[in-house]
Amino acid sequence: MPQVWNATKTPQVLSFAFFSTMLAFAGAATAQLPEPHQKDGRIGYVLTERHWAIHETEASTECPQGMNTRGSRDLFAQQFPEDSDVERTVVDTRLMIEAYQYHTNTATTDIYDSLPYYEAQGNVSYGLNLDGEVNADDFMNSAGEEGIDNQLYRALGCIAGYRKDGQYWFFENAFMINNGSNRWMIELSGVDDLVNDDDVTVTTYRGLDNLLTDATGVGFSAGGTQRVDARWGQSFVEEVKGKIVDGVLTTEPIAQAKIPWSQPGVSDGYHIFKDLQFQFKLTSQVAQGLMGGYVDIEQYNHRFRTSWSSHHQNYGQSSSGSEYTALKRLADAYPDPETGANTAISGAVEMTLTQVYIVHPDE
Amino acid sequence: MHLNNFLTVVFVVASAPMVITASAAAETPSDTMYWQSVASDAHEAYFEEELPLGIQVVATALDGPVYTDTQGRTLYTWPLRALRNGSTGDRKDGASNCTDEVLRTEVGFMSPYPAGLVLPYSDQGVSCTQIWPPVLAPEDAEQVGKWTLVKREDDSNQWAYDGFPLYTSNLDEKPGDVLGGTKIRSGGDGGVVRVPVGPPANIPPGFQVLSSTTGRLLVTGDEYSVYTWDGDEANISNCHGECLNNWSPVRAPQVTVDSGDWTIIEHSSGINQWVFRAKPLYTHNKDTRSRSFAGSDVPEWHNVYTQRAVTPPDEFTIQDGAFGGQVLADARGRTIYLYNCRDDSVAQLACDHPDSAQEYRMAICGGGEPEVCRETFPYVVADAGAKSESSLWSVMAIDPNTGRHSAEDEEGTLHVWAYRSRPVYTYSGDQEPGATYGDGFGEFTGSRNGYKAFVLRDVFQNNHFRR
Repeated sequence: MPQVWNATKTPQVLSFAFFSTMLAFAGAATAQLPEPHQKDGRIGYVLTERHWAIHETEASTECPQGMNTRGSRDLFAQQFPEDSDVERTVVDTRLMIEAYQYHTNTATTDIYDSLPYYEAQGNVSYGLNLDGEVNADDFMNSAGEEGIDNQLYRALGCIAGYRKDGQYWFFENAFMINNGSNRWMIELSGVDDLVNDDDVTVTTYRGLDNLLTDATGVGFSAGGTQRVDARWGQSFVEEVKGKIVDGVLTTEPIAQAKIPWSQPGVSDGYHIFKDLQFQFKLTSQVAQGLMGGYVDIEQYNHRFRTSWSSHHQNYGQSSSGSEYTALKRLADAYPDPETGANTAISGAVEMTLTQVYIVHPDE
Repeated sequence: MHLNNFLTVVFVVASAPMVITASAAAETPSDTMYWQSVASDAHEAYFEEELPLGIQVVATALDGPVYTDTQGRTLYTWPLRALRNGSTGDRKDGASNCTDEVLRTEVGFMSPYPAGLVLPYSDQGVSCTQIWPPVLAPEDAEQVGKWTLVKREDDSNQWAYDGFPLYTSNLDEKPGDVLGGTKIRSGGDGGVVRVPVGPPANIPPGFQVLSSTTGRLLVTGDEYSVYTWDGDEANISNCHGECLNNWSPVRAPQVTVDSGDWTIIEHSSGINQWVFRAKPLYTHNKDTRSRSFAGSDVPEWHNVYTQRAVTPPDEFTIQDGAFGGQVLADARGRTIYLYNCRDDSVAQLACDHPDSAQEYRMAICGGGEPEVCRETFPYVVADAGAKSESSLWSVMAIDPNTGRHSAEDEEGTLHVWAYRSRPVYTYSGDQEPGATYGDGFGEFTGSRNGYKAFVLRDVFQNNHFRR
């Protein structure tokens, strides 16, 4: 495995400027950097940008009624108006609302049902055709492909926090970058040609190292190194067959995959995707595109409520209990054998992965 | 305590390849990695400061040496901190903000709820000074060293240390108790906490001691871990040649004097090297993050503490967790959780122990229903006759319906394990050993009114030890 440098105690986020300088003064190092960045039919990529796939128009025509205002602060203002002169208790207000977040599935009433909930409208969205079918509630993507499955967008597309520059859009990506437990990678093996190859193997791993930023400090450079997290990260390892057609990697479905999605200060945040598929445009530097699958709703809700406090949810004027209800209403897969209610919802994630040298434990 | 790295079950979706067989077999045994026996004589040495009459130093199990009053009660400060919508606590060199005023409502410092909500204990006449009695000084007391005096509203004198007024905690019952707070760093939204005060650790410049869930960890000035090697001899480094590819001797000055636990040797590379308790110190060249335990994964190498916490009772184990680290777990491998709570009164009183209002915890773990609480976050029931050698652990009689102390022989009483006099819990959603699915369950990701896993090691988040 060619390595420009070994990971050491030196801060792992090394600037591209430093990297370029090294190459300029070390001809041998330049020769060690292959183009494309693959060897023995293997090329690795590490996740460097990630957002839920939410289709947005400039005029927000997909949200004709506006954005949702369904946070706990909105609920509090409606149910406990300040001008009522009624003295309220902590137990009857704050703790009642907080308790609902954690006992939504057993509560008999939806405490948010007096507030309107706006779903995204229209038939255009990003995503993948997960079931190979074209159904009435499916979307069409910008390329005109029909049958796109992304009901998670329908449920959450009119919550400001999930839209571009909203707090979930921004911070969940920032925390992915800065929190090492979210270091997620794919490795393609058996690659004969990065443009057309009808048989490649894709393996997912969690990495151990920080990302290699460019000179701006906010972009990322190819050529970094990531060690595979072999001790703690076994549950993030998956393997699936795929093919590359005209530079686009597509994969068969992974029955169920766990994707790390942690917030600072909270361990073990992750999402569970069923029938997980990838569709990435590949270059020797970057893999960019979509990850799609059926998102486990109970896990989605659990991760959300343990990652985002009511305070933070209110920035997006949303609440976990309110979102949970919408996700269950629009769930479109994996019916519970006893109740018949769907337990998963189709969704997609926009991703950019940057080429990286993956170092396995035996290397 | 069962030190069970091997209980860890690696759950992988059937189709996934195993990268390696997960095993920590070659690592430092966890009993010596994290704990010390109750008989150990390892205690943190400290600088002796000038003290007022009656103030003394007491060694404690988790927080090292602390200052106490004449009765051995630990002294605490309450440094001012900003919360979401306001700040409270004591300003350095200012007067005490902990008063006799009866607390009745929340002040709304924590978003998103407004001020004025009536506290669950509003009818009990509780004030800040009832819970945190000020440490009063005689009328003729005079300041000495870092010890100064502040005037209270009733014109009495209150001792202050390093500019902050001092208090005792009504939870502390005997010398060595530090139940009102810990030196483990606090931040974020956990509230404005009280901090036990003690003399500075007797360490050379260039080192720090950090309080952690496993004791007082010795690190460099920039918080990188230091290590010792079993291959060394007393005051002799045998780390030469290839060894130096992975380990760097911790440099000592050319001119200094030995002091207590600390000496200096000349390493074969020609530099002076610090030695702690006769063991040469190193940093690990492959540590990529501060406060790391990665060096202890190398056989015969060990993190260094001025004192480790005393080994927990035998019914507890250590488990690897997929989050990237290790947790304390019960005998069946289920992760142990600590419940955190601080109310939003101006006094920011703790509500995390059986003597405090239980409404907060009951709301989070059970939607107000005790039976749901017991199902969601069950107590860790102790074996019959169980005892702890560690003063940090005890068996407590609890009424599970109220969450409060119970008479030993009362019907329905549970005898449960408690850490620092607070019951510990497991989480019903944890389906495999070492899972920390319940971490963050509650307000402000579990730090304000909720549950946090008992984390011993956190690889990815720089071992920001939870309080």
